[in-house]
Amino acid sequence: MGVGRESRAASTATFVRRSYVFIDGAFAMTTATLNPPARADIQLAPSLALWLALLAFTAVCLALRDALPWLVTYPKDWVLPAATWINVAADAFVALFRPVFRAISAGLDMPMRAIQVVLQWLPWPVVMVAMAAISLRASGPKLAVFALITLVYVLGTGYWRHSMNTLALVLLAVPVSVTIGFALGVIAHRLPRARGGINACLDLMQTVPAFAYLIPLLLLFGFGPVVGLIASAIYAVPPMVRNTMLGLEMVPEPLKEAGLTSGCTKRQLFWLVEVPQALPQILVGINQTTMAAFSMVIVAAIIGGFEDVGWEVLSSMRKAQFGQSLLSGGVIALLAILIDRITLGFAQEHSPGRGWISLRGLAGGLAGCLLAALALRQFMPELSNPVPGSLWLPQLNAVNQVLLNFVRDHADTLEGIKDTAFYCLMLPLKVGIVGSATPAIWGFTLGPVLTAAYALLIAALTALATSRASWAAGVAVIVGGIILFFGFTGFPWPAMIALAGGLAWCAGGRPVAIFAVLSLLFILLTGLWPFLMQSAYLCALAVALCLLIGGGLGIWASQNDRVSAVLRPINDTLQTMPQFVFLIPALMFFKVGDFTALIAVMLYAIVPPIRYVEHGLRNVRADVVEAARQMGSTPSQLLWQVKLPMALPVIMLGLNQTINAGLSMLAIAAMVGTRDLGQQVYVALGKADTGLGLIAGLAIALVAMMSDRIIQAWSKQQAA
Amino acid sequence: MKQYDAAVTTKGTNGMTGQLRDLGKAAVALALIAAGATAASAADLGAKDDAIKLAMLEWSGQHISTHIAGQLLQKLGYKVEYVTAGNFPQFTGLSDGTISASVEVWMNNVGDVYPKALEAKQIEDIGKLNLETHEGWVYPKYLEAMCPGLPDWSALDKPECQKALASPDTAPKARFLDYPADWGSRAATILADNNMNLTAVPSGSEGALVAEWESAIAAKKPLVMMFWAPHIALAGVDVGWIKMPPCKTPEAAHCITPPDVDKIVWSGFGKKWPAATVLLQKLSMDAAEQLKIMQRVDKKGEDIDAVTKEWLEKNEAVWKPWVDAAKG
Repeated sequence: MGVGRESRAASTATFVRRSYVFIDGAFAMTTATLNPPARADIQLAPSLALWLALLAFTAVCLALRDALPWLVTYPKDWVLPAATWINVAADAFVALFRPVFRAISAGLDMPMRAIQVVLQWLPWPVVMVAMAAISLRASGPKLAVFALITLVYVLGTGYWRHSMNTLALVLLAVPVSVTIGFALGVIAHRLPRARGGINACLDLMQTVPAFAYLIPLLLLFGFGPVVGLIASAIYAVPPMVRNTMLGLEMVPEPLKEAGLTSGCTKRQLFWLVEVPQALPQILVGINQTTMAAFSMVIVAAIIGGFEDVGWEVLSSMRKAQFGQSLLSGGVIALLAILIDRITLGFAQEHSPGRGWISLRGLAGGLAGCLLAALALRQFMPELSNPVPGSLWLPQLNAVNQVLLNFVRDHADTLEGIKDTAFYCLMLPLKVGIVGSATPAIWGFTLGPVLTAAYALLIAALTALATSRASWAAGVAVIVGGIILFFGFTGFPWPAMIALAGGLAWCAGGRPVAIFAVLSLLFILLTGLWPFLMQSAYLCALAVALCLLIGGGLGIWASQNDRVSAVLRPINDTLQTMPQFVFLIPALMFFKVGDFTALIAVMLYAIVPPIRYVEHGLRNVRADVVEAARQMGSTPSQLLWQVKLPMALPVIMLGLNQTINAGLSMLAIAAMVGTRDLGQQVYVALGKADTGLGLIAGLAIALVAMMSDRIIQAWSKQQAA
Repeated sequence: MKQYDAAVTTKGTNGMTGQLRDLGKAAVALALIAAGATAASAADLGAKDDAIKLAMLEWSGQHISTHIAGQLLQKLGYKVEYVTAGNFPQFTGLSDGTISASVEVWMNNVGDVYPKALEAKQIEDIGKLNLETHEGWVYPKYLEAMCPGLPDWSALDKPECQKALASPDTAPKARFLDYPADWGSRAATILADNNMNLTAVPSGSEGALVAEWESAIAAKKPLVMMFWAPHIALAGVDVGWIKMPPCKTPEAAHCITPPDVDKIVWSGFGKKWPAATVLLQKLSMDAAEQLKIMQRVDKKGEDIDAVTKEWLEKNEAVWKPWVDAAKG
């Protein structure tokens, strides 16, 4: 549970599946306390023969790759024109059903405009007082002060109007998503048969990047803010469904029986027994749904039509004005944190806010606010409308100038960092040692001696891993060594698919393996394989570095409260600030290219390892730690041999979240000029190509679902 | 966001653009006839109580053209609303009248949506904005010290220039920063046509182009990139445009020509707001003036409404004839 709470703390941009965190968190916590995790290879040990066969197959593919070039480059003639098919189908669908969707659009547009008008009409002082009162009730005076600071900031930025528009969108998206999500959750709970299908849909809704379906939404619903609303709802429904399901599942059987024996009708049983019991979990769902809706509003702003804050963030990104983007991004981050804390406060049964103001008092206060609003509008209209334009323009320009001065003064250092990382890390993974060791890049060619030395090194490492850990570790070293030697882009696809299938098989058996192989085949057949390899190389490197750096920070934070206190707001900022904001300095420092994309992905994906490692280590069973200490463990032995192994299930969840966060950033990293799946999604958006967008989006989703399944199965296997 | 699209539409490119141009001409002609027909009642404002919704797209120059158009429409007695819109999404809005007009549409950046909507007679091209545009390979002037022979393109192939422009991901070739991948790219064909030793790196977004341009200038680093004018990033910077080799063929994929900028309206616009139609047909925009206003808005942070208002007060001679024509 703790993990859910921890990561729930503020995140707009949580593209990550938070309900997963929650469900798995619950699972991880129970299993962790039951069973100290055992080594990976003991259970369900796959036959060594399988891996030897896979390695032999890989070797054959590699040996033949010069003779049969189609092993590496999937021929264009073999590509299924799936994008074209989808476009034809989509055109027909749109032509047929447009009136229906336009009617829905009109139906949603009206309430949204109404909310917008009301929010714009409310004088800003009244909004401040009302928000402070709501925050007070939600969680006490601290939050009320935070609410006031946030709103004063919003007023000062000159984005008040824009913020109210954004809120209008969220205020409508949330009830719509909550209603749909609750209904779906109940259906899934009642009909176990439908559960599989519903779960798969939820996975897709959370992993297909919104950029991929904005175009079809635009064609169906017409130009306007409703598109943003629908996109938000698509992304925001799943957490509600998952939490509703979880809540209903957790209702104790005896309670239901008691209800039945006391003569409840089915309806009474549901509304009077089950729902109230599930309510805390449902409220958590509402919190997560709100945050998800909020994060999507920013992405949907790319359509336009609403003058919201997201549009302002995108505008400043287009002009590469860091100061301005920081300012507008700050509005989003602060509002996100505020809304998160308010909904969370209402979700908690014993929030400190309850003592400060009663519900009746709050209602009275809000009614008073309404009267005050009427009075202000009538008698002091000048106090009602916020000042347009930012108060801080000189400071913004100064921020931009500071950034440029930094670039001017440290251009060579920055270039050095970029070049080093590029030559030593990125290039070998991308084109392999074989591709990097050329006179132009590394300054030498790979002779037979060096090749032999590399082979010996890998052999030695394999022997070491096998003797120290297990043969599985040895196989991992060999596979890693081969990939590093030939690079992601030069690796034969049949071998890659076979290896991924093997990995999935070992983790989760046949179903997971079939899913993995079919997903990869889909990507191959639709012609997206080269882009997948680009994404794989970028994400693999980002995830590895995030685990290393973020894991290190997490360990540090688990042992030092001050570090933990410093990291927390940084994590909150990285997760709530629209990622577009960070792209500008990254670009100015490191120019267009893969390294900048890596930085962009890492800035977002580094948060889960920090949080999960810290959380995992801090919640290791105290008695076990004490026992180890009694036995005379040194602090480093305690960390490496007791705490980390015990925290492994939680850390694996963190890994899962890291991969998802990395994949979700691909569509945004496309803005700095990548050539991966995310770029395909973005290109499709630019060209209004429904088919390409959906296929590339689906490809990202499939990779996310595949890695999710493998890791989940693996950590379940561990716990069993 | 400017986008070059012809290169993507494969073989039929030339015929297609030609056709488009003809269609555009036809539309203008039709509109002019329509305007003539209504000349007797040219002062007819039409549905002046329904606000005219003008698209505010993603770049500042367009905001200025739009605000000038908007204020002139207000002078005629119309209500005006500014609607933010993405460059492609706007055509969906224009097709059904959710957006009434868009006064600065760069014709090199209209995608597949535009010709479809034009063909279905959902939108109408009412003529050129007469904005003097420029598109091509731009570099900061100081690059001439590192690449002697600039602005001629052949300078880029010389060893010292190659070395200055090379980067790890393009080495040993020089690096050329291209338009984002989704805008379509001519670089590949042009580089091949002339055997140039450059690697085109797609930039991802307008923001990326601008960010790299600004940081290069701040650090006085070499850079050559595809860009267009008028653009705020070029204001106050000493820039050079590469003199390109002669086009191998005049086809758009092999050639960079200044893009047209047109005014597009929803097809029901002329009937609903006759006087406004006349005004928008007359509307034109001077690139240098636009850039001046852009600087005040983007760099000094002045309010766009106030600045454009001031500009209109000072330049009555420019727009008086348009308003008079609209009034009949």
